[in-house]
Amino acid sequence: MTKGKLDPHQPDQKGASISLKGTFIAVMLLGVFILVSWFALYALFLSR
Amino acid sequence: MHLHKYEKIWLIFGMGSLALFLAIIGFAAFWKGIHPQSHIETIDPQNIEAHDAFKPENLGLHEVADGKYIVNIVASAFNYDFGTDENGNAVKTIRVPKGSTVLYQITTKDVVHGFQVAGTNINMMVEPGHISRFETVMKNTGEFTVVCNEYCGIGHHLMFGTVEVYE
Repeated sequence: MTKGKLDPHQPDQKGASISLKGTFIAVMLLGVFILVSWFALYALFLSR
Repeated sequence: MHLHKYEKIWLIFGMGSLALFLAIIGFAAFWKGIHPQSHIETIDPQNIEAHDAFKPENLGLHEVADGKYIVNIVASAFNYDFGTDENGNAVKTIRVPKGSTVLYQITTKDVVHGFQVAGTNINMMVEPGHISRFETVMKNTGEFTVVCNEYCGIGHHLMFGTVEVYE
């Protein structure tokens, strides 16, 4: 039993090479959607 | 701790959004003075006439200064009491000029009611034992329907009125 791999406190070096591009785009789309809808409703509040 | 470059970006974006909305809440509450409409001001629901604003002769629309109005209303199942006109008929329409500042003061003698002027920002809960207040500038002309939006009993749908904003 080697150490390293089974030790949860050791970062998995392979993680750095995983592509997160799709995740990044999905997170940003959701974030922009939340911000845009919030400000659209705030504009509605101010106009009334 | 190793973080992926994209992870850093979306964490900063997320924390930035939290900080932005927290700042907006602080701005609204402390600078603009936006609070729950009851302001925790109490009144005896059995004896609302003891309060000046809700004496029968003080109900309805009053001009207190140039362009400033107060509307006193008593909600009860299933009616909004806007006072009476000079002929003694119940007022059902409140008429104010465009751009006027109107303070709505409302309380209830019986159960929980709502006071929403559809199409404006006026939307309050009316709870027995509390006075709900909302001050706003009537920016847009038109006829706006006042509706009760808290189910108050069998005649809930009969509870309505009108606010008319003219040029």
